[in-house]
Amino acid sequence: MSENDILQSLRNAALASIHEAKNSAQLDSIETQYLGRKGEITSQLRRIGSLPAEERKDFGQAVNDAKEAVDAAITARREALVSVEADAKFVDEAIDVTMPGRLWHTGRSHILVDTLQRIKEIFIGMGYEFVETPEIEDYKSNFEALNYPEEHPALDEQMSFYITDDTLLRTHTTAFQHQVMSNRKPPMRVATLGKCYRSDAVDATHSHTFHQVDCFTIDRGISMADLKGTIHQFAVEMFGREVNVRFRPDFFPFVEPGAEFSVTCIICGGDGCNVCKGSGFLELGGAGLIHPNILTAHGFDPEEYSGFAFGFGIERMPMLMYGIRDLRLFMENDMRFLRQL
Amino acid sequence: MKVSIDWLRQYIDFTCPLGELADGLTMAGLEVEETIQISKAEFAAQGGSGEIDDTVFDIKVTPNRGDWLSMIGVAREVAPLVGEKVRLPEPKVIESEPASSELIEIRIDAPELCRRYVCAVIRNVTVKESPGWLKDRIIAAGMRPINNVVDITNFVMMELGQPLHAFDLSLLHGNQIIVRRAKDSETITSIDESERKLDSEMLVIADHDRPVAIAGIMGGIDSEIGEQTKDILIESANFNSVGIRRTAKRLNMSTDASYRFERGVDPGITVLAALRAAELIAQLGGGEVCKGVVDVYPSPIEPLEVKIRPARVNKILGVSIDAGAMIACLNSLDIESAIDGEAINCKVPTFRPDITHEIDLIEEVGRVYGYDKLPMTLPQGASQGKDSPEGKLRDKLRRILMASGGQEALTHSIVDIGLARVAGREEQSVNLRNPLSEELNSMRVMLAPNLLQVIERNQAFGNQNVCVFEIGKVYFADASGKSSEKLAIAGAVVGNLWERSWGLPAKALDVDFYTCKGILESLFDGLCIQNVKFVEATDPLLHPTRAAKVFVGDREIGILGEAASTALETLGVRGRPCVFELDFHALMETAPQVVTYQEPPRYPAMQRHIAAVVADSIPYAKLVDLIRTAGGGMVEEIELLDVYKGEHIGEGQSSLTLGVVFRSREKTLTDEEVNSVLALIKDALSQGANAIFR
Ligand SMILES: [Zn+2]
Repeated sequence: MSENDILQSLRNAALASIHEAKNSAQLDSIETQYLGRKGEITSQLRRIGSLPAEERKDFGQAVNDAKEAVDAAITARREALVSVEADAKFVDEAIDVTMPGRLWHTGRSHILVDTLQRIKEIFIGMGYEFVETPEIEDYKSNFEALNYPEEHPALDEQMSFYITDDTLLRTHTTAFQHQVMSNRKPPMRVATLGKCYRSDAVDATHSHTFHQVDCFTIDRGISMADLKGTIHQFAVEMFGREVNVRFRPDFFPFVEPGAEFSVTCIICGGDGCNVCKGSGFLELGGAGLIHPNILTAHGFDPEEYSGFAFGFGIERMPMLMYGIRDLRLFMENDMRFLRQL
Repeated sequence: MKVSIDWLRQYIDFTCPLGELADGLTMAGLEVEETIQISKAEFAAQGGSGEIDDTVFDIKVTPNRGDWLSMIGVAREVAPLVGEKVRLPEPKVIESEPASSELIEIRIDAPELCRRYVCAVIRNVTVKESPGWLKDRIIAAGMRPINNVVDITNFVMMELGQPLHAFDLSLLHGNQIIVRRAKDSETITSIDESERKLDSEMLVIADHDRPVAIAGIMGGIDSEIGEQTKDILIESANFNSVGIRRTAKRLNMSTDASYRFERGVDPGITVLAALRAAELIAQLGGGEVCKGVVDVYPSPIEPLEVKIRPARVNKILGVSIDAGAMIACLNSLDIESAIDGEAINCKVPTFRPDITHEIDLIEEVGRVYGYDKLPMTLPQGASQGKDSPEGKLRDKLRRILMASGGQEALTHSIVDIGLARVAGREEQSVNLRNPLSEELNSMRVMLAPNLLQVIERNQAFGNQNVCVFEIGKVYFADASGKSSEKLAIAGAVVGNLWERSWGLPAKALDVDFYTCKGILESLFDGLCIQNVKFVEATDPLLHPTRAAKVFVGDREIGILGEAASTALETLGVRGRPCVFELDFHALMETAPQVVTYQEPPRYPAMQRHIAAVVADSIPYAKLVDLIRTAGGGMVEEIELLDVYKGEHIGEGQSSLTLGVVFRSREKTLTDEEVNSVLALIKDALSQGANAIFR
């Protein structure tokens, strides 16, 4: 066999085994076998010295050609093999994406606290300063300073839990007015929120404990129209849509004129439904202009200043918004309930 | 107050549909809560005539409007709605000798409790069943027909709002009625056959010898009308509302009469009511009305004159109504009003004791004008709204704890004192004097027991994994017994914090003291509170050897630990929950107002592991102290990587693996520098903590 024939057969053998290589490791050893420093093709160059001078150049060229051809074939084959191997690896690493995710428990806020927070933000946006207020109050703040006459039937609506003769659990957040008015001068826009207590047996719609928000403002020229407008603005923000506010005369000793306020039923939009008992309105709370007796008692001249006050219960709002039928769910803290809202 | 529409038509004309009338009344402040239809058959079934159908409005009457507890009171509110006048009954009585005053002497000994006392005498009456029309009225008013005399007193009470009482005149001793305070320990058996103990705070109607009625509340059985009664004395009186309320409360009684007196009865209607009853009794019981009612009225009440200023009315209501319209509003309510220069002079009738000042009349104008017509404006002037400092911190804490997996809870403040007992804080408990039940008799002293209860309830619901927190008030009595309250923040965890954790090693998932501590540490981190220490401690609520007090600097601010097994047993909680509870204001006061920024380090850190075997009696905090001291500022962080006990480690010892991060803020540390500090640290650990290195 001539040197060229040997080279040619080496080249063919190399290309054939490259073609048959099953993985890159085989390819690596083929590369070493033929093209390594002592590779079969590389070492053909060493024979060059034994060739006649005139054949040397051509033979050198032929070896280089063979090396390049084999190298190109290896590169091409390697590329093909890499993607096949990767595919095989991916198949091996396959997971079931429909299996459930692992999940660390995330905490959620309590729906009632959330509601309080939302209400608070709206009133802060309307210029109210929220203050912290005690739940244990004296008779004076809860009743007397709010213009409740002694031994008045209006007290029947406010059955109180007493701690001593004179100390009781506040029956309404309105009890905060006395402290605030004793320590500030008009103009003022103040609000508070929190737990209130009345001696009421617990069932789906009653509880001895409930939450209220109370706001009041004292300034020059405050009118019933301002009160109505304020409540309207709050209701639109709270319910996120245009609602009508309805005022109806009502009696609370600390306001005159006094009103109960309702807003368009958010369930039926005012057409009348079960929830609003066909009236198209939902009663929210009590409101009115601060009684001149109270202004006078705190040193504010009712001829110069007037004010309005309003308050309402909180539980009713999420009950309406989420269709919750049982008040007790709020304080039961059943995770199955809390984690839904 | 049940208002029969058929009956109402006797006092006022109206043609509007009843739905419209109900709406009108509701918008005027007399909320029609229910509209009830009573058919002929239903009347007949209750003993009525069976000749009429009727509609009844059930009206909610606010406590300031006693006058609405009568047909004419309601008619007076219909008047402005329909533009008609109210017709009062005009009793026509044929009087005969002798005069009432010859048969009975009236004396008011306690004028402060009885403003006016009127009586009429009717003789030779036949007490019998009422006629159908009267029974219909009584039934429609929600009462039960008894006999003609009792039904008439009820009828007149419903009609005019004046409670009446009928005595059998022959049973009154000494022809005398004395309105006086009861004597202490005097008794009376009321017509409901209970014996009532009286005292000098209570007003009675007495004859010459004994009390015959508890004034304004209930009559006595000794002078009650019966079938044999012939001569009747009708009492129409005006009693002090506070006195009646006190007595009714003390005797635990409430009657239709006391209900009305507590809310105020018109002192101007007393005589009319007596005559009206006399007229009806004569008409339906066939008796003779004695001449002249007896009327004792020591200080007659005159209608109050109140001025209102139209400009003020408009300013307060936020409207612009002219004075003429205001006068029309007031006149339609029988408040006689006329212009007087810049003001309007108003004569407030005696049936409106709720009106005493200009502001009350402004409300009346507003009511008749219609609250629904008031415009909507916003107060002038801007003001800066803001949350309280507590509100701001509360919100921040909520966010931090929710991010740590805490579910926010809201629990009752009124609890069983057993919870304070569980927490070993019974003596601090604020207790209710008039609890709803024995289980709801005190105010919570701590939040944590409530949260353990939340765990118990959720375990009962089938949920073993609970992580909750609450921010709320706790209440306590100080040494002097004065009740106070403060904000607290507490958390409780049990089970594991993974909602779904398949494929993870189960043992690693269960929460323990350290999980709870981690949550607490993230809270301090979030508030940038440094210098927090956990010091081994005992607390009645906590496991004796798994409890800590939490300090910020030297200030003790709360507790952390595994709940005591006794507490868990009492509360029925399974598993081993851990809890913490901190004083909210302490957090507010220790959280820095200003947080300073530190530039991120520029030079690389080097890490070394230390594996040290130390006795369990050496607290980890001590090792940290030793490392930091020996590290001389080069130690940036110390991390506990593993704790191993068991094979190859002596009894009462643990092998701790610590990761120590070294860094300088000035330069890149060399291996040699770090190794020499590490050697110092190991020295310190072996000398200070007898540590052996593996
Ligand atoms: Zn509706």
